[in-house]
Amino acid sequence: MKFLLDIFKTVRPTFGQGGRLSTFKCIFDAMENVFFAPPKVTATCPHVRDPLDIKRFMSMVIIALLPCLATSFYFFGWRLVAMIMVSYIAGGAVEVIFAIVRKEDINEGFLVTGMLFPLILPPALPLWMVAVGVVFGVFVGKELFGGTGRNIFNPAIVGRCFLALGYPAAMSGSWTTAGTGLSGRMLQYVTSSNVDAVSTATPLVLAKQGQFVGLWQMFLGNISGSMGETSAVAIILGGVFLLATRVANWRTVVSILGSSALLAAVLHYSQPERFAPPVWYLCAGGLMFGAFYMATDPVTSPTTKAAKWVYGIIIGAVTMLIRNFTGYVEGVTFAILLGNIIAPILDEIVIKVRLRSLSNEG
Amino acid sequence: MLEGKPGRLIEALPEPEALYLPLRSRRFEFSELCVEDGRRVNGGGVLARDPNNYAVPLLAPRAGLVRLDAAKGHIVLEDISKTEFAYSEQGELPHIVRQMGEAGIKRHKLLELGAWQYFSDAFGGALPDPLGRPQAVIVSTISLEPFVARGDVQLQERLLDFTRGLEHLQSLLEYQPIYLVMPDISSDFALQVRRQIRGYARAELIEIPLKYPYDNPNILARHLRLKRDGGPVWFVRTEGALAVDRALTLSKPCLSRIVSVAGSAVELPVHINVMTGYPIKDIRTRCIPAGVVRIINGGVLTGRAIDTETLGLDTECTGLTVLAEHTERELFGFARPGWDRSCYAACFLSSLRKDFRERFTTAMRGEDRACVSCNFCEEVCPAGIMPHLLHKYLYRDLLEETEQARIDLCIECGLCSFVCPSKIDLTNQFIEAKAMLEQEKEEIRREKLKAEELQRQQEARGRSAKEKEY
Repeated sequence: MKFLLDIFKTVRPTFGQGGRLSTFKCIFDAMENVFFAPPKVTATCPHVRDPLDIKRFMSMVIIALLPCLATSFYFFGWRLVAMIMVSYIAGGAVEVIFAIVRKEDINEGFLVTGMLFPLILPPALPLWMVAVGVVFGVFVGKELFGGTGRNIFNPAIVGRCFLALGYPAAMSGSWTTAGTGLSGRMLQYVTSSNVDAVSTATPLVLAKQGQFVGLWQMFLGNISGSMGETSAVAIILGGVFLLATRVANWRTVVSILGSSALLAAVLHYSQPERFAPPVWYLCAGGLMFGAFYMATDPVTSPTTKAAKWVYGIIIGAVTMLIRNFTGYVEGVTFAILLGNIIAPILDEIVIKVRLRSLSNEG
Repeated sequence: MLEGKPGRLIEALPEPEALYLPLRSRRFEFSELCVEDGRRVNGGGVLARDPNNYAVPLLAPRAGLVRLDAAKGHIVLEDISKTEFAYSEQGELPHIVRQMGEAGIKRHKLLELGAWQYFSDAFGGALPDPLGRPQAVIVSTISLEPFVARGDVQLQERLLDFTRGLEHLQSLLEYQPIYLVMPDISSDFALQVRRQIRGYARAELIEIPLKYPYDNPNILARHLRLKRDGGPVWFVRTEGALAVDRALTLSKPCLSRIVSVAGSAVELPVHINVMTGYPIKDIRTRCIPAGVVRIINGGVLTGRAIDTETLGLDTECTGLTVLAEHTERELFGFARPGWDRSCYAACFLSSLRKDFRERFTTAMRGEDRACVSCNFCEEVCPAGIMPHLLHKYLYRDLLEETEQARIDLCIECGLCSFVCPSKIDLTNQFIEAKAMLEQEKEEIRREKLKAEELQRQQEARGRSAKEKEY
């Protein structure tokens, strides 16, 4: 791999101070550091460091998304690849522009946003909307606050929220049925015009009309819905991986799923003919995907443990309430957004209490 | 498991040609010279003192010829020989002895024979007042930081000396408790200690988990529910108790100590028995393979790198940690499976391995990023404070808030910096902030004194004016 290193070495002066392309230094740095681990050494104590860095941290989320990507590729085909590419290119442009303006490094957090965003969109959504959504999400949801680590909203959620409010017709009318059989839709490219089954209702829409899709079908994901959200089994697989690697915090996941299941159970056992059983609600829509991948984003979720529990309970409860008692069909997006808003307040309260007990120490 | 942990073997190094005694160590600065250039001193003779730390002496480990200007920041002893030195009590004893009687003589001896420098205050880490009255004494047989000299090695075949040291410590106290910290208080070794000290010293055995940094004096004191307001807590490790025994039983100065030479870059990690001022060059040629290495005075997490100007071991050195300087650049380092790197967050495949030896280098292993609030730092913090919160306060220059968030409880163990995936240098930020707070407090104190002085002067002037009127 020496020749690669040599290439970087010869190109570096062009991007260095006073070089012709010094404006784009962040792009060069990002490329170099992706290929070769940075040579930086510790200056003072502690002289050794844990091997985990943000690159690895964010890669773990991508790895955890692989099962979801596989199932959504099977169910919805090449459209997924196109949407991911659009999302990466459009959102990446925003990220790079901001890195150049701010003279900071390009942040890896974007790789996760760019991957998550297509997975929470309807399969037949026009590609330009994907681009608009991700640009809005990254710009307003993240960069305006100062980039990864300083944002208070999950950028992917902000993007989806924007699309849901700005283009309600497209967002609620771009569903397709999932592919079946050996090849699924893996040989197809779904658009809003070429698929006969466009605007198929999702299980949650049907549930409003009193029809409940079979639980087994919902578990496997053979239903209509957002790209990555349909298959509960894939989400659980990736989610457990995220929890095991401690990238996602189990408290958030448990409290979201637990509180929504509890509320669903209360509803179901009081009016069994109107509401489905709790497990059905867990597998429906984006609840599980949101709980494992979106709400656990460490930046926008609360930091302290106690606040994580409350945060999760609020998201779970609000989701169920929106789903069942408002005109909206799905409430995870708004619930997480609401959770993001109150996360700093929850943290503030927990920290106040902790500081009070700390003040008596030693 | 880390690669490069020293075994139980203690190696005696040959006598060096010259000794280079640094005038500075972590706590001490021996600025008051007591010898002249070109004079001969006896082994155990006082070379210099630290006027700010109860005049702690820097003792000559060997007899030899003093050179003050041979190396910057060092006293060099040339032409050394191993003549034993005996402490004479006839010399003029300061007034303290008259005041304190028997115990005073003992404490004076501890100070003059170099045993006192092993003591520290469990709360602040500074040298306690040798004539002060502690609220408790903590004796720890455990050193948990990777690569420093361990208590079990220092205790080998010296258990009797150790328990006798405890008895001497007891004789310095009135009713204050001695806490003896051990890894397992029901082990044979603990039983043996218990049997030997019975009746002579009232030591309470305390068990702590063998996990860094539970051996930290501050953590131990908090664990024992000792309060800062209750007065100083003396903390001393195994070697300190042994030094107490040597000073008070044999009336001999403590001139040599057991130090570890370990770390991933050392082929054969060992403990060595050396004296202060032993040339680092000699240790290098003997124990450390050639190559680009970083030699650290102390453990891998809190030690300080030895620069090229330091020529000899200082008086407080507990171990030399040697790490290979990181130079190579891994291809796709972040995406490697990582069978050989253990990680706090289980993000590498090594988590599936049971036991393996990890080889540390000085690599930062990542790029600087903004805090993502992963909360790992709070999870590992042994002091129970919130490093991420302190970091955010400091980022906004809110020094006062960090004080309210109890930055003073930070024990500088380095674990938060270690685990941080954003590679934020938390520990050093906290050390700096603490120093700044300390300075601010000092200024306020000084201003207060000045104001009081001014007021007193004015009053005096007023009084004299009145007197004049009469």
